[in-house]
Amino acid sequence: MKHTLHIAWKDLLFLLRSPGMMVAFLLFPIVMMLMLSYVFPNQTSQQMEGKIGVVSQDPAFSLMAKSENVIFYKSLEDLARGLMRGDVMVGVLVPQGFTKGFLTGEAKLKVIPNPKNPQMAVLMTQMIPNMMQSPSLSTGRRMDVELSGVDGGEFNYYDFTAPGLMAMIAILSVSTGLAAAITRERELGTLDGIMVAPISRGSIVVGKVLSQVARGLIQALLILGVSILFFNVQMVGSIWNVILLLILGTFSFIGIGVIVTAGMKSQETAQLMISMINFPMMFFSGVFFPVEQMPKFAHYVSKVLPLTYAADALRNVMILGAGLSEIWMDIVVLLGFAVVTSSLATVMFPRLVKD
Amino acid sequence: MKAIEVRDLKKYYREVKAVDGVTFDVEEGEFFGFLGPNGAGKSTTIRILTTLTRPTSGKAVVAGYDVVKDGKQVRSKIGLVSDKLILYDRLTVLENLLFFGRLYNMEKKTMMERAEELLTMLDLWERRNTQASKLSTGMKQKVNIARALLPRPEILFLDEPTIGLDPITTRKIRDFVKRLNEEGMTIVYTTHLLHEAETLCDRVAIINKGKIVALDTPRNLKRLFTEREVVEFELERPVEINLDCCRVLENVGNYYKVETTDLSRFVEELGKLPVKVRYIKSEEPSLEDIFVKIAGGE
Repeated sequence: MKHTLHIAWKDLLFLLRSPGMMVAFLLFPIVMMLMLSYVFPNQTSQQMEGKIGVVSQDPAFSLMAKSENVIFYKSLEDLARGLMRGDVMVGVLVPQGFTKGFLTGEAKLKVIPNPKNPQMAVLMTQMIPNMMQSPSLSTGRRMDVELSGVDGGEFNYYDFTAPGLMAMIAILSVSTGLAAAITRERELGTLDGIMVAPISRGSIVVGKVLSQVARGLIQALLILGVSILFFNVQMVGSIWNVILLLILGTFSFIGIGVIVTAGMKSQETAQLMISMINFPMMFFSGVFFPVEQMPKFAHYVSKVLPLTYAADALRNVMILGAGLSEIWMDIVVLLGFAVVTSSLATVMFPRLVKD
Repeated sequence: MKAIEVRDLKKYYREVKAVDGVTFDVEEGEFFGFLGPNGAGKSTTIRILTTLTRPTSGKAVVAGYDVVKDGKQVRSKIGLVSDKLILYDRLTVLENLLFFGRLYNMEKKTMMERAEELLTMLDLWERRNTQASKLSTGMKQKVNIARALLPRPEILFLDEPTIGLDPITTRKIRDFVKRLNEEGMTIVYTTHLLHEAETLCDRVAIINKGKIVALDTPRNLKRLFTEREVVEFELERPVEINLDCCRVLENVGNYYKVETTDLSRFVEELGKLPVKVRYIKSEEPSLEDIFVKIAGGE
C-alpha cells in the first residue's frame, strides 16, 4: 500500500514538473465542458425559419399555394441547388394528383430535407399531418408524408452524419499522424538516416504527408463503403468529387500537428493540445448535430474549423448531387486552410527535427 | 585535399556551450578519433559535420563542401553510424539496405551486389530476409554499418559504434572498420574508451567541455602527458637499488617496480649492476591515465 502511493505520487510529480502539461491538464476539462454545453440545441433556436421550396407536379396545387414563404422550383435539380445555396430551408415534392387525393383523403407528400439541417424536415413531416386535422377540414382524412432524398430514396439520420463522419475521420487521423510519425522516427534515430541522405528536406515532409493523406483517404472510403452497403446512405453526386473533398480536407489540417508539436516542449503536452482542438471540432462542425440548431456562439466557432466546410461540401455532393460549381466556395476555404497550415508547418518543421 | 577542415566551430544551446571553438583537420584516408567523456561535445561535432545540426558559428568543410551551404553535396559523400540504430524494425535486413540505398539514387542491381558483398563480410547474408527486430543488438549494429557503407561513402562517421555490444562483436566491428580504413576510407570515430582510440586511430583529439584539449597521435599524446615511465623488472637475486635516475615504488624479493624520468639512462645503469636481469617490462602509461588527468583536473 505504501509503495502504491509512492508510485502514484511519482507519476503526479511528473505532471507538476512540466508547466505546459499542467496548464493543458487543468484547462482541458473546463474548456470541454464550456464548449460542449453550447453544442446541444436550446429552446429558442428551434423555430421554423426560412422558406420552403416546392416542386409541384400538380398544376392545381401550384395555383392554390401561393405564399411568400414558398418558392416554386421547376425540377428537383433546381430545388437541390436552392437547398445548397440556402435559399430554402426544406423542400417539398407535391406529386401529381395531390389536390384530388387531398379531397378523397389519400394524399401523398414528400419532404426533402436540407442536409445541413434535417431537423427542419423532420419537424415538417410531423406538422403537416397535424395541420390537416384542423377544425376547418373534415376529419378522417389521411395524408402520407415521408422524408425523401432528391433522388427519391429514403432519407435517414445516417445520410446526414455519414459525410461528416468521413471528413472527420480523414481529418482527425492526419492531424496527429504526421507529427507522431516524425517524432517517432526522431526518437528511434531513423530520421537521422533519412536526413543524412543526399535528398532535399522537402521531399521528406511531402513523402510523409502523402502517406498520411493516403491513410486518411482509405479510412474515409471504408466508411463510405460501409455506409452505402449497410446503412443505405445515398450517393447522388460523383465519387471523384467526394475523393477530391476528402483529400482537400486532410490537406487542410495536415500541418496542425506539426505546428502544435513544434510549438510545445514535450510530445505529451502537444498530444493534449491537439485533442483540445480535435474534440470541439468534432462537435462544432455539424457532424453529429446541425450547426443551425446551435446558438450563435457555436456558429462563429464552426466558421473557423475546416471540418465544417469539408462536411458541408461532402453532404451537398452525396445527398444533393452537387457538382464542383456548387461547392467551389467550400473548396476555396479548404484550400485556404491547407495553404496556411502547410506553410506554417513548413516554417516550423526545422524546430521539430532539431535536437 | 583535406577530408575535413574545421575552423573555430561553435554550437551553443540556450545555456550549454556544446561545442566551443573547435579547430582541426582530418587528412584523406586518416583514421581520426574523438575521445571524450559523455557530454563533451563529440556527438554534437559529428552532428554538425554530418549536416544534422547547424553550427552557431565557425566553418566546417567536409569532402570539399561547406556543411551549411552545400549540405546536400556533403551528404552524398558521407556515411553515418551512431549508437542510435538507423534501422526500421519491421523491415528485413535487405529491405532496410535497399530503402536507404534508394535515397542515394542507387540502382537496384548495384545495391544488391553491394548488399551481398557487405552482408557476406559481416556474416549476415544468411539473415538477409529476417526482420531487423528479430536480430540481436550486435547483428543490428552490423546491419547498421552495412547500411551506412552501401552507397560507398568517402568519409565514414562512427559515433560510439561499439557501445553496449559484447566483446566479440566489438572486436569484429573494430577490425572491419580498420580494414575499411586500410582500403582508403577516411574514418572519424568517437569513443569514450581510451584503448579503443589508442589501438585504432592515427590521430586522436581529446575533447572536453566543448573544447579540444589535445590533438596528436596516441604515441605523442602519451609522451606529452607523462614525464615518468614505470618499469617492472626481476633480478637473479635481490640487491639494493640505489640509482639517482629512478625511484623504487615496490620491491618484493627480487621483483622491483620503479619510476623513471629517463628510460634509456635507467636501462644503461641497470646493465652496470653486478646481477643478471631476468625480466624487464616498461609499463607505458595508457591514454586512460592521460584522460583522467585532463578530464579531471585542468
